[in-house]
Amino acid sequence: MMSRFIPNRTPCGRTRREFLWEVGGGFASLALTDLLANEATATTILGAKPGHFPAKAKHCVFLFMNGGPSQVDTFDPKPALQKHHGKPYTGEAKVGSNGRPIGHLMKSPFEFTQHGASGLEISSLFPHTAKCADDLCVIRSMHSDTAAHASGCLQMNTGSIFIGKPSIGSWLSYGLGTPNENLPAFVVMTDPRGGPIGSASNWSAGYMPAAFQGTLFRSGGAPLLDLATPQGTTDRSQRRSLDLLKSLNEEHLKSRPEESELVARIESYELAYRMQTEALRVGDIEREDAATLSMYGIDDPMTADFGRKCLITRRLIENGVRFIQLYSGGGHLEDTWDGHNDCITNHTQHAGETDKPVAALIADLKRTGLWEETLLVWGGEFGRTPTSEGVDKPGRDHNWQGFSMWIAGAGVKGGQAIGATDELGFKVVEDGCHVSDLHATILHLMGIDHTRLRFLHQGLNQRLTGVEEHHVIKKALT
Amino acid sequence: MKLAGLLLLVLSVEPSISHAVDYETDVKATLKDRCFSCHGSVKQEGELRLDAGTLIMKGGSQEVVVPGQSGESELIKRITSTELDYRMPPDGARLTERQLALLRNWIDEGCDFPDDEVIPKQPSEHWAFLPVNPPAFPVVKDKTWARNPIDTFVLAKLEADGRQALPQASPTVLLRRIYLDLIGLPPTEAEQKKFSSNPNVDVIIEQLLSSPAYGERWGRHWLDVVRYADSNGYERDAEKPYVWRYRDYVIDSLNRDKPFNQFVLEQIAGDELPSRSIETQVATGFLRLGHWDDEPADPDTDRFDQLDDMVSTTGQAFLGITIGCARCHDHKFEPFSTRDYYSLVAVFNPLERPRDGRTEKTVLIDATEVYSWTEISNQAPVTHILMRGSPQRLGDSVEPGVPAILVKTPPHFPNATGRTTQRRLGLAQWIASNDNPLTARVIVNRVWQQHFGEGIVSTANDFGLMGSAPSHPELLDWLSHWFMHDADWSLKKLHALVLRSRTWQSLKSNDSLVRYRRLEVEAIRDSMLAVSGQLNAKPFGPAMKPSIPKAALESNSDKESVWVPSTESEAARRTVYAFIKRGLVVPMLESLDLADTVSSCPQRQVTTVAPQALSLFNGDFAVQQAKHFAQRLSREAGDDPQKQISLAWRLALCREPSSREIECAKQFLIDESLEQLCRVVLNLNEFVYPE
Repeated sequence: MMSRFIPNRTPCGRTRREFLWEVGGGFASLALTDLLANEATATTILGAKPGHFPAKAKHCVFLFMNGGPSQVDTFDPKPALQKHHGKPYTGEAKVGSNGRPIGHLMKSPFEFTQHGASGLEISSLFPHTAKCADDLCVIRSMHSDTAAHASGCLQMNTGSIFIGKPSIGSWLSYGLGTPNENLPAFVVMTDPRGGPIGSASNWSAGYMPAAFQGTLFRSGGAPLLDLATPQGTTDRSQRRSLDLLKSLNEEHLKSRPEESELVARIESYELAYRMQTEALRVGDIEREDAATLSMYGIDDPMTADFGRKCLITRRLIENGVRFIQLYSGGGHLEDTWDGHNDCITNHTQHAGETDKPVAALIADLKRTGLWEETLLVWGGEFGRTPTSEGVDKPGRDHNWQGFSMWIAGAGVKGGQAIGATDELGFKVVEDGCHVSDLHATILHLMGIDHTRLRFLHQGLNQRLTGVEEHHVIKKALT
Repeated sequence: MKLAGLLLLVLSVEPSISHAVDYETDVKATLKDRCFSCHGSVKQEGELRLDAGTLIMKGGSQEVVVPGQSGESELIKRITSTELDYRMPPDGARLTERQLALLRNWIDEGCDFPDDEVIPKQPSEHWAFLPVNPPAFPVVKDKTWARNPIDTFVLAKLEADGRQALPQASPTVLLRRIYLDLIGLPPTEAEQKKFSSNPNVDVIIEQLLSSPAYGERWGRHWLDVVRYADSNGYERDAEKPYVWRYRDYVIDSLNRDKPFNQFVLEQIAGDELPSRSIETQVATGFLRLGHWDDEPADPDTDRFDQLDDMVSTTGQAFLGITIGCARCHDHKFEPFSTRDYYSLVAVFNPLERPRDGRTEKTVLIDATEVYSWTEISNQAPVTHILMRGSPQRLGDSVEPGVPAILVKTPPHFPNATGRTTQRRLGLAQWIASNDNPLTARVIVNRVWQQHFGEGIVSTANDFGLMGSAPSHPELLDWLSHWFMHDADWSLKKLHALVLRSRTWQSLKSNDSLVRYRRLEVEAIRDSMLAVSGQLNAKPFGPAMKPSIPKAALESNSDKESVWVPSTESEAARRTVYAFIKRGLVVPMLESLDLADTVSSCPQRQVTTVAPQALSLFNGDFAVQQAKHFAQRLSREAGDDPQKQISLAWRLALCREPSSREIECAKQFLIDESLEQLCRVVLNLNEFVYPE
């Protein structure tokens, strides 16, 4: 009877809490006390682990529209802008960023029409995605805390405007691990024009072990860094070298059989070898038939790159990858959705590059049955101003007070638009969804309670959604 | 379906608790979650503590429970009340019906709790906040084993636990262990030969402590603690101009065995010291090492974010306390208030960052560019407590001070002089004083952790209530007292004491205090360069940039210009001289668990994942070193495979290969190149896990 008052002891003779403090990183999987019904199940740091409750989605794909797509040109129709086009804005919302010139209210040149049985309104920028209107849950009331790209991308990815925090993919890798350790749990594919501002800070594991960080996956050549066998080394030599390494390491292990780190390191070389084969196989889309390649737009230079990424995404999902992030837009300004000078030309280009591949991904996931277990998230770090940037110039500045994103797939109630911005599209006026609310919702759909997924750092139980109160977006759920 | 819903509704209104209520899991867990922060060991609102059964029974300014009568109990009345100034908890969600039912049942069942429940100590009694007094030497049965006081304390615990001391490792094992530990490089062939003719490890310890390579190895450990990086992070991720002078200052200070208390003074207040020099002002670069967004999202809070970086890092690095948590509200689990926090903010508030818009400037001191902050006036700005951390909600104004729990009487802060407010000097003098309960304990524990793989306190940055308890409390106090009073804060004396102990020289096993732990990535990379014969020993100066594969640059927003690699020979310098760019960490360093570049890193993580194997087996750097290593073997051992193998083992592992190893390697060389064998050797577990 008394035993229930004795702290749970580990084999090392410390209390379990002390043990967890100490191993924090070493075997971080153990630090998931809340998550693990049976701690012994997770043997490696990335091993698959159960969530807090049954998950609707096993995989998440974040289609990151880097630079900030304009809500009033995409998913948030504003007829009032037609009426007030060319007039100065006199409302109380803060306009723009960083002292850039403020122009007049500017209507969208893209026509909004209703789609699907739900009649969801989508602009003419997305003729293909619009066919999936009944699957999309548009959130018109997103808001964040910053008007700058660097901190905006960080916030959308890590929940914080400061560097050094783990990204949502890291949290999911930490919380759920991966069913297939022959591939990374968290994959990132950037734009050929460059990465987002802040680069790797956006998929960093922050204060968590590096094992949880995003792994860059390239859509051409060797998909992972250092994946290829070194030049001048044949496959046979590679295998024989690994065999020798293994046999010498096993000999060394004989007199130290209790050292689990040594065992894990031996296994990591075999894992790396399997990863070589597996990643190449998954990245090799030439095996797909012509109709599939065409559906993704891989036969059209405009859509080829994003199409390739979307197709690889489907193949990664098929192979168990937990979180995949695709960037549309990279480098600076007009190479991203950052349409300061000419938002119309800019968005026409970036939507043109991505619309067909995204719709193909949705269709393909449905075809393969993966739709039932995959969550899609579409959006950028913020939206854009309903005013032009400067008078008589078709650019739009940053707007973080109200913007649109959409989610779709497993557990999501499609064919609806949640929340609203004001008459002109500046500020949220109804059902506001903070970036952290979106994060809470993604975790929820993946089977995780955002208040219970914690990582001890600097004396505090850190959470993706921080210390402020945030909520799952209930209206978005089935 | 309908029925189930109805049932659920009923349950949530009146939850039935069928099993007997468990105090620990049902009652205490709820109280801990919702009540301890105001009614626990740290704070006692209404003189009430709820963190132990006897204390709940005792009540506060009034009785809170009547055993057997939950309806009469103040605790339940308050929890169920709807009156705003009466109900408990005052903020946040109400307790759930289930939590309430559990509390009710527990009271109605008679308020059972274990007799031997430990009552958490008051923070003022917390071991780490008490003065460092030398403990009595323990009496041990075995009078012959101990070589120095460390051994006596360790043996006493072993004897008390009925366990045996472990045998000593062999001299050659110790030779490699000492080299990798103190300088992060394996011994050369000549050094091995010299040692075998006179295998005296004490001589080696002395010799390596005088080697300049010691500072390059141990300086990096300190750079982890102070969140060192060469750039600011964020969009522009600009280089911190001349920040490398701070890195050189650390290396040089360690090599000259600067007393640690002086090292503390210089980093916090080197510009306010009567004996200030360029060196001591470079030292204050410590305060400017943090990340910095030159286009902050919220300029009002930005200033306080920068101050927070200094306060938090100072707290963790020198004092081992997590004071940063008290920025928005009193620390929930530690005895630190927002007043304590903002008193420390007041210490740093006079500092200004030299800048021209987004461009950082240095301070010119006697024609030397120094990367530090400046105080432009000796008039300190008024510092307010910020309510909930908001710069728009000013609370009381505060004077510079230190956390109240750590002192009997507040330390003296000197008056402003002609140049500065002297506030940092006041703080630094208190931290560096022999009376400070934390400073010596924290650094002694860091040194111990680095030598043994695990600290006496396993939470090296957290000696507070939430930190872990010391495994050998008397030993830690003896060492800390000795370090201040007998060793005069000399780190080299501390190293020598530790390394000469039998405890450190024992064989490694699961039972030993000295643990198998993978070398840090710097020591791995430097060892590879040393073994391949490529190591460039050039010390100090601007950072070098190891090459980064093109594939890893593609994800950068300015991929063409973001990273200009150094020449191969320049990049072959020790890794402590590698440029740490916050937005683009060299992939090999990153995957092998380089320290967090943003906040103070108390201990390197050790993860074991496939990308590390890819980097060390396929990566350009590893392949290049294998090539150089093979060329070196051919050069120095000639064509005889057996001689080549022997030399490879001696250079990389500091020992002769076994006959089985020779056989395997020879067999391998029949079909494969020497270069392939070298690649295998550089990837051996033994290469990165020293005995």
